[in-house]
Amino acid sequence: MTKIPIHLDINGHRHELQLEPRVTLLDALRERLGLTGTKKGCDHGQCGACTVHVDGERVLACLTLAAQAEGRTITTIEGLAREGELHPVQAAFLEQDAFQCGYCTSGQIMSAVACIREGHAGSDEEIREYMAGNLCRCGAYPHIVAAVRQAALEAAS
Amino acid sequence: MTVHTRHGDASDGALAQAVGGRLSRVDGPAKITGAAKYAVEQQLEGLAYAALVESTIASGKVRVIDTTQAEAAPGVLQVLTPDTIISLRSASDWFGTPPPDKPYCPLARDITFSGQHVAAVVAETFEQAVAAAALVKVSYDETPSIVDLSDAKAGDGIPVDAMTKEWGDAPAAFASAPVRICAAYNTPREYQAPMEPHGLIARWEGDHLTVWEPSQWLDGMARTYAEWFGLPFENVRLVSPYIGGGFGSKALALSHGAIAASAAKMLGRPVKLVMTRPQTFTGYGGRAATRQTVTIGAGHDGVIQSIVHRGVNETSIDGMWVEPLGSVTSIMYATPNFSSKQNVVRVNSVVPGAMRAPGENPSAFGIESAIDELAYQVGIDPLEIRLRNYAEQDPHARKAWSTRQLREAFAAGAERFGWARRTPEPRSMRDGNQLIGWGVAAGTYPVRRAYGEAIVRILADGSVEVESSSIDMGQGTYTILAQTAAETVGVPADDVVVKLGDSRFPRAGVTGGSRLAGVMTGAVHKAATSALDQLIGLAISDPRSPFHTLQANTLVVSNGRIGSPRGDGPEVSIAELLKSVGRDHIEATGDTMPANSTAEDRYKNYTTIAMALPHTEGNYSRHSWCAHFIEVRVDEDFGTVRVSRVVSALDSGRLYNPKLAESQWKGGIIMGIGQALLEEGVMDRRHGRIVNDNLADYLVPTNADIPDIEVISVGIPDLHSSALGGKGVGELAIVGVAPAIANAVFHATGKRVRDLPITLEKLI
Repeated sequence: MTKIPIHLDINGHRHELQLEPRVTLLDALRERLGLTGTKKGCDHGQCGACTVHVDGERVLACLTLAAQAEGRTITTIEGLAREGELHPVQAAFLEQDAFQCGYCTSGQIMSAVACIREGHAGSDEEIREYMAGNLCRCGAYPHIVAAVRQAALEAAS
Repeated sequence: MTVHTRHGDASDGALAQAVGGRLSRVDGPAKITGAAKYAVEQQLEGLAYAALVESTIASGKVRVIDTTQAEAAPGVLQVLTPDTIISLRSASDWFGTPPPDKPYCPLARDITFSGQHVAAVVAETFEQAVAAAALVKVSYDETPSIVDLSDAKAGDGIPVDAMTKEWGDAPAAFASAPVRICAAYNTPREYQAPMEPHGLIARWEGDHLTVWEPSQWLDGMARTYAEWFGLPFENVRLVSPYIGGGFGSKALALSHGAIAASAAKMLGRPVKLVMTRPQTFTGYGGRAATRQTVTIGAGHDGVIQSIVHRGVNETSIDGMWVEPLGSVTSIMYATPNFSSKQNVVRVNSVVPGAMRAPGENPSAFGIESAIDELAYQVGIDPLEIRLRNYAEQDPHARKAWSTRQLREAFAAGAERFGWARRTPEPRSMRDGNQLIGWGVAAGTYPVRRAYGEAIVRILADGSVEVESSSIDMGQGTYTILAQTAAETVGVPADDVVVKLGDSRFPRAGVTGGSRLAGVMTGAVHKAATSALDQLIGLAISDPRSPFHTLQANTLVVSNGRIGSPRGDGPEVSIAELLKSVGRDHIEATGDTMPANSTAEDRYKNYTTIAMALPHTEGNYSRHSWCAHFIEVRVDEDFGTVRVSRVVSALDSGRLYNPKLAESQWKGGIIMGIGQALLEEGVMDRRHGRIVNDNLADYLVPTNADIPDIEVISVGIPDLHSSALGGKGVGELAIVGVAPAIANAVFHATGKRVRDLPITLEKLI
């Protein structure tokens, strides 16, 4: 399959890639760019582990072709902390013990940041609903809700 | 190798650092920033990608595999079939049973289940491998298959005599009992579904093999790879820095690992193979489907006179898995007469495997549902009937419990839940069109004990380093071992670096059966004590030490500084002391093996499960215990069940880190909610194939399914169970959740559902 040039703007860095058009954003991140913080759990948009931000909105990197992200602003878990300071959602996940194995965590955090920004963290009920697309088999859900609640309150104050 | 150097959570406080403190995960910062590199995320030069081709029939033989198109596809490096893959040797099983003297081929010619690996394609890129794998054409000679336990061809199966437990005369006592209940309880195939799919990277350097693979048992899996390829054990290195969930499924080397390692050897390049999510439903076994009948004979006072229990679990055509269904039945309640027997039935499935609390989990669904049925039959509160039949000692082993805080668990849970406000009649509590039900059930899991090794080093800068080939899949091993070393040596946990997940480190047995924390805190405690003794010995005996003139046993190390406990005399940091005596480090190895153990004993201990100590060894019977109180709300019209409240009180002995233990308990409870209401492998009966082999159709709980969960620790230190007093945490909490929910559903609706999961069509 013929490769095409694709430019990706990830975490403030511009990457020039030659990729087959069938390569997903997830595989471009993990297999071509070494950005393995974004996880592959199902490759079918069912688990949320690959959640990243494209132009500020949460998307599933496994259901997005790298070519679709051309020229758009991509943020992954590696780009969330600024100058060594954890993002408030990251800090809240650590404090609330909102993960165990850690494999769904990047996706949970990226979803949580967007969930708060979307204004969908107004109550525990709302957080549960708007975080329901990110599976966690270790069962950290109550602590994820607590972390999102804490970060949302910090963002509001 | 994995290094965690500092903790990122300012909320911890100083008290968190010691054993028993609520220290945040030391591996947390790596996980929340995406820096944690899981096994298959290693970046290697020249990596090739493999994709599997699987059987589409459940029984028969491969006639022809046509690889022509696949071989011609772009980027393809090799296509492996049973005819082209290198020949391996059979490996011993996890008991260490010597293997049959015949070759092992991880690609099947004889098909015994749908989804069996029959071929593999290796290509330059992941996309090329996947595309070419779809071009491999396999034809079969198909024979009839046995789909599952309900298949008419399945039969009654094979008796497993080792599972028989009997005392008294249970059938006679049942026949003469004034109150008798008898019911059948079924659990379906369930799947571990860890978020990280199984996979590996295999790389050869001469006759040395390195495997990066998520693993609950580095030394056991290294042994299997070594035996497959005829290598000395030392030539295989397993690396597993983080594990994205296992729940029992990542303890053994599996055929896909043999395929990837063979491909890497044949190709002379490192090969990466990761299962697709559907392949994770057939590439290894989930929890076997089970059937149980429980009959209880009792007096009108609810006191049990007899229990007769019969169980069946499915296994594969050519493999053996026994899910011990009488494990809870035989110990939860006092009874003078008891009989439990079990069969296994062969079906065309991958061999089932371990999934969170194998045995105890379905066993508890039977007995903890049945006792609720008995409670209603005799008109006694379900909590009260459990207390009336409380087992004051292990009824089977006839030994004292090491500790059993189950009475305390019932009391604490009932108090917090408000059980006294429950009205006993079914359908007597409601909120609008929602029927409310309150259910209780108990759970238990044995304390599995084994041995471990660790190295503890005190380094020149005063920091401490711990090494062990044990692993952390989210239970908190990195954290509790840092706390153990910190407390023992006398330094802040921030100054401890724990390195795990590399088979080159001191050995450890399997991480399963909730044994690791007890084993490894014991080994690290021993090694750290020995390192501390050396440090103090140097301080007293070395002429260059400022403490040289003091007597022995008068020095303490606290917060990284060494001095007199009375505060008089000199006080220096560990770093200063080591510098003054000219040492760049102190190193001690600790292991918990018996003193006269041979090298062969050690090898056997760490690479098989044959050496584990029985939980009834010596004078005591050792178990963890729990009681779950659960509220459900059932929509009267639609039959939908929602869990709205959970209070669980648990006895895991001493908790090494309550913050992390509570997380594991809640995780077990949540997996139990999934088991009760959602999880079920559905079979296509025409093709003997699982239909819902993905995360959208095999339903696991989502955030929106889970209410707030309250957990209460009622444990006390149990030094018969482990060196530092802990029992088990990870397996325990799921046990009893499903029957507590089934009992709550009965209370809400008056309908007794004995088939998991409890789905709406069973209620309307």
